[in-house]
Amino acid sequence: MANLMSFLPGVLAGLKMTLGVFFITIIGSVPLGILASLGMKSPYFTIRWLVNGYIWIMRGTPLLLQLIFIYYGLATVGLPFDRFEAAAFAFIINYAAYLAEIFRGGLQAVPQGQFDAAKVLGLSKTQTFFKVVLPQVIKIVVPSFGNEVVNLVKDTSLIYVIGLGDILRAGSIAASREVTLLPYLLVGVIYLLMTAIVTLILRASEKRLNVWR
Amino acid sequence: MISKKRKIIVNSVVAFFFFVGVIWAAIIVAKPGQMSAREDQWSRIQKEKTITIGLDDTFVPMGFRDKQGKLVGFDIDLAEKVFANLGIKVKWQTIDWSMKETELNTGNIDALWNGYTKTPERAKQVAFSKSYHESNLTLVVNKTSGIHRFSDMTGKTLGIQTGSSAETDLNTHPEILKNYLAGQQAVGYDTFDKAFTDLNAKRLDGLLVDEDYARYYIEHQANPENYALLRGGFKPSEDVVGLRKGDKGLQQAINRELDRLQKNGFIRNLEARWFGPQPDLKKN
Repeated sequence: MANLMSFLPGVLAGLKMTLGVFFITIIGSVPLGILASLGMKSPYFTIRWLVNGYIWIMRGTPLLLQLIFIYYGLATVGLPFDRFEAAAFAFIINYAAYLAEIFRGGLQAVPQGQFDAAKVLGLSKTQTFFKVVLPQVIKIVVPSFGNEVVNLVKDTSLIYVIGLGDILRAGSIAASREVTLLPYLLVGVIYLLMTAIVTLILRASEKRLNVWR
Repeated sequence: MISKKRKIIVNSVVAFFFFVGVIWAAIIVAKPGQMSAREDQWSRIQKEKTITIGLDDTFVPMGFRDKQGKLVGFDIDLAEKVFANLGIKVKWQTIDWSMKETELNTGNIDALWNGYTKTPERAKQVAFSKSYHESNLTLVVNKTSGIHRFSDMTGKTLGIQTGSSAETDLNTHPEILKNYLAGQQAVGYDTFDKAFTDLNAKRLDGLLVDEDYARYYIEHQANPENYALLRGGFKPSEDVVGLRKGDKGLQQAINRELDRLQKNGFIRNLEARWFGPQPDLKKN
């Protein structure tokens, strides 16, 4: 056990990177996902096509490939990104595509009567969206949103491909140095702890959002 | 309801900007890549007094992180010494090893210095320094396995590191080892610690690996005396520094320093420190 704990400092150094990518993705992809979900329901077919094309590409190719293209591919055509910026950008546009579909499902679950009632009450389109529709969508999407967040915790490990050191990489460094698989066990425990915290937070917010029931 | 006219206008505007974007992207892609990567960067490096070197920080004992997270290893010591003599600070950049040539040629890093072995394929893309260390490919087997020479691997399973120069050597000279193997194919691993786990579990009969690494890994096993190292007909591999083709000034400076450090015994001392004493080797 003491042996296992000796890997902790190295692994914790990687934790900073993992959490950095995690939080920046959540903060960036939620608004972008909402925008994209609205774009899919736009009355203009060009906007619908563009957004659908974007979602098709983002969900249709592995995130690992997207990371490689954004960091190395764009650099070869003269658009060099910083490593962390490239990771943040790739994760945000990728997760926004998945979230857009979740939000679209949430939007469709709001009954037509709500829109009609808002219209009768004389609410503007913006008011209808922010005061009537969005609060209901948020309640509906929390469980599936949580699924993506838990996925994101683990997907952050893909940033190894652009040379960023997260906890999984810290684990591999320790594993090749000490020639033992034990560091991976520690890394697994840390991932479990992170998903446990995320799950608890999501459960609590779900409960709070359901007080009206 | 939105009027038909408005729909047509908005749709045209969106389509217009989309096509402008596509054409702009096509122009950028069609343009030749970064010019700066093709020019000699030596004067810039000398002016900034820093050089960025790419490494895989899991690569024991060449360059890896100790328990405090500090970079240590044979190549770290050597590169730091070479550039200290030149009055240049080294900035180490962790990279994914499968992306090393791309990192170098896009200018993210200025050099690859991490047990980088000379191969004909790499020579097409990368310029090399003079070789500063030689190492042999060895076959690691369990002592009790009854394997004493490469031909004893007939019908057996071999492990290698994917993308390593060992893999290239195995494939370019199939008559030395590859033709004996079960299915004439080896099993690829991303890191050697996993391959050793399989060797211990008897899912592998042998492991083709650079001697320096083999010794490091064997030393760290629970029972180092359980393994045997076999040398075969592979030519020794030469470790070099990988540089951009255009960087002649940097190449000359590194070669000059490597020459000096070879003559004054610095490299020999480092080898003794990081690779330990030569173990008994069964000659094939």
